[in-house]
Amino acid sequence: MLVLSRQINESIMIGDSIEVTIVDVKGDKVRIGITAPRDVPVHRKEVYLAILEENLAASKHADFTALADIGDMFPQHPPKKTNPSGRHPKQDKPGKS
Amino acid sequence: MKLETTRFGPIEIAEDEIYSFPEGLLGFASFKRFILKPNPTGGPMLWLQSVDDGSLAFIICQPQLFKPDYKVSLRPEDLGDIELTKVDEALIYAVMVIPKDKPREMTANLQGPLILNKTKRLGKQFVLLNSDYSTKYKVFQE
Repeated sequence: MLVLSRQINESIMIGDSIEVTIVDVKGDKVRIGITAPRDVPVHRKEVYLAILEENLAASKHADFTALADIGDMFPQHPPKKTNPSGRHPKQDKPGKS
Repeated sequence: MKLETTRFGPIEIAEDEIYSFPEGLLGFASFKRFILKPNPTGGPMLWLQSVDDGSLAFIICQPQLFKPDYKVSLRPEDLGDIELTKVDEALIYAVMVIPKDKPREMTANLQGPLILNKTKRLGKQFVLLNSDYSTKYKVFQE
C-alpha cells in the first residue's frame, strides 16, 4: 500500500480525475473530501461490504419455498399511490346495474 | 425474447419490460439487465430476475409495506443517474433476505435500496450515505 503524509487542505490526485483532500483532523478522526467522476462510486468500506454481503445472501436465499406463507403473515400497509404488482383493487364500475 | 430461468422455467419477455442497471448491483456488477416479476403464488414480494443469468434472482419488496415512514433522500446528481425527473416515475424496493423455513426472520436492506425509473426503465442500487437504516432491518420486530 502506498502511504503518503498530508496536512489539512492538502490533496492527493488519483489519476487525472480523482482528488482526495484532507479536510480536517480531530483526535483520531479524519474528515476527507473526495472529488470523483460520476461513474466512480464512493462508499464507506464497511457500508459497501455490508450491502454487498446482503446482496449475496439475498441471491442465495431467493427461494420459492421461502415465500410460501408470507402473504398471510405480512403486515398490511398498502402504499398510498403505486401498486407494483400491477394488480388493482376491485372497483365497482359506475353505470353497471 | 425467451429467457430460461431456474425458478420460473422458460419465460417470454418483451424488450420494453427490461430494466437496465448500468452499474449492476453491488457484488453483481456484470449483471445489468433485469425484469420485475410478481411472485407466482401471490403475496407482497416481487422478483428481480436477471436477464443475463437465468439462475440469478432477488426477492424484493416495497419498504413502505412494512415500514410506512421509510424515506430515501437523494442528491440531484443521484437522480440524474437514473434520469429521474418526476417522483411518480420512481419505484423503490428493498432487497430481502428470507431464510428458508424461517420467514419470520426475514430482513430488508434499507440502506441499499433499489430505485427504478419506470418510464426510462433504468435502475440503480443506491447506498444511502448518511442514514440510520440497517442493511438487515427486521421486518417482523419481535
